[in-house]
Amino acid sequence: MSERRAGITRRRMLVSVPALGGLLVTGCSDTFRPPVVRSGLIGAADVLTMSTSRWLQADQPLAREYGREHIAPEFPTWGQTNPDDERYQQHVSEQFRHWALPVGGLVEQPSSFSLADIKALPVRTQITAHVCEQGWSAIAEWIGVPLSLLLEAAGGVKPEARYVVFHAVDGWYESIDMFEVVHPQTILAYGLNGEELPVGNGAPLRLRVERQCGYKNIKFIQSIEVVDSLAGIRRGTGGLSSDFGFHWFGGV
Amino acid sequence: MESSATASTTAEPAPSRTRRWVALHGYNVRICHWINVIAGGYLLLSGIHIFLDFPELYWGHTGYQGYPAIFRLSDWGLSWDEAGELGNRMWGRNYHFTFAWVFLINGVIYAVWSAWTGHFRARLWPAREDLRASALSGELREHLRWSSPARTAATRYGTLQKLSYSFMVFVFVPLMLLTGLAQAPAFAAAWPWLLDLFGGRQTARTLHTIGTVVFVLFVVVHVLEVLLSGAVNRIRAMVTGRFRLPEEAQ
Repeated sequence: MSERRAGITRRRMLVSVPALGGLLVTGCSDTFRPPVVRSGLIGAADVLTMSTSRWLQADQPLAREYGREHIAPEFPTWGQTNPDDERYQQHVSEQFRHWALPVGGLVEQPSSFSLADIKALPVRTQITAHVCEQGWSAIAEWIGVPLSLLLEAAGGVKPEARYVVFHAVDGWYESIDMFEVVHPQTILAYGLNGEELPVGNGAPLRLRVERQCGYKNIKFIQSIEVVDSLAGIRRGTGGLSSDFGFHWFGGV
Repeated sequence: MESSATASTTAEPAPSRTRRWVALHGYNVRICHWINVIAGGYLLLSGIHIFLDFPELYWGHTGYQGYPAIFRLSDWGLSWDEAGELGNRMWGRNYHFTFAWVFLINGVIYAVWSAWTGHFRARLWPAREDLRASALSGELREHLRWSSPARTAATRYGTLQKLSYSFMVFVFVPLMLLTGLAQAPAFAAAWPWLLDLFGGRQTARTLHTIGTVVFVLFVVVHVLEVLLSGAVNRIRAMVTGRFRLPEEAQ
């Protein structure tokens, strides 16, 4: 479909992330239940929803990829569309030439990547449907680096790694578990429909986690942290959306 | 309670000439029915909340504000902002998915039990001779009289009633479940045929919303029928299982 697509097979992807072994041996419950289980009937339903989804996804299916003819005439901008942050605006005016992404926490070599560094990594292009939890959906082409390959460029994750946390310029934060991290379609996108990712859609880098709803696809990423527990981070629920009261697992 | 009503609790209760009461509904039907009332009520309310936060409908894979819509609530007098103030999608999503599980588990228990005991065949499935045009038109005429002693005393479902219950159980519920799952990215990835079946997520969402209207119509007619055929007796029968035969039927 695209000459820019890297030749990444699912096998290579899975083998490349050392955490998968740990996931299968020790962290199995991570795959089936959210980091914080809410109380009452809602929490029980959360666990049922997530474990059923993950059970059906045992072979890591890809989200549907569409042909170019399905790309929406315009991709909506929603939520935060232009962070009111002096340093961020400076980066925008410099086309992110001096922007850098720290990748830290439980990786073997904590590193900082410039946008050029990230673009030099293998590219994945995917035409997928963004499914907003609000009800809208739009198909777009996303260009970026598979998250697992970026983590590999930081030396790979340590065996005790369980979650990857994304921090955004506007104070938003979000996290995903290793089951989603190792998935080939989980990419950090810097391109949209053949162009640089626009500011309104989260420039310079946003998460694409195609099997979960829009609110997990955090925009304006400014740092990445690999952790073994979400307990010490902000309010401990694993994301601002789950702090508000949305289910941490956005698959439904 | 059950034994004082009648010695047997078979699925086909026969009106008795010596007893004023018959056992009409088994405890499984009664428990499942009232759980359904709670789950269905929450599903409807939470579904409306979710819809109000994005009060437009589209066809196909794509749909967003500004994309050609097939239905806009704003065309019917409620602006996007007004709808958004009424709807709380976070509350809606939490309760919709919670009671979807309650509804599903309850429904599976009901279906397995009904298939096992023959409840479907005995009570819900219309007999072939009842489906003849003359029989159906006769029943329809009967219905247009609103209320009648025969209906007030009926201890079996009428053919139209059987057809509508069967439609809800075997057609409506599976379609609502599938159109709901087709909207969930986790399930659409695991079962891509869901998207092919309905021709896209927005089509599934639109069909799910139309299904909500069908559900409301069903509830309205169902409650109206209960009111017209001896409300107290009917509701009591769905709570205690015992149905009091009207004088003229004894």
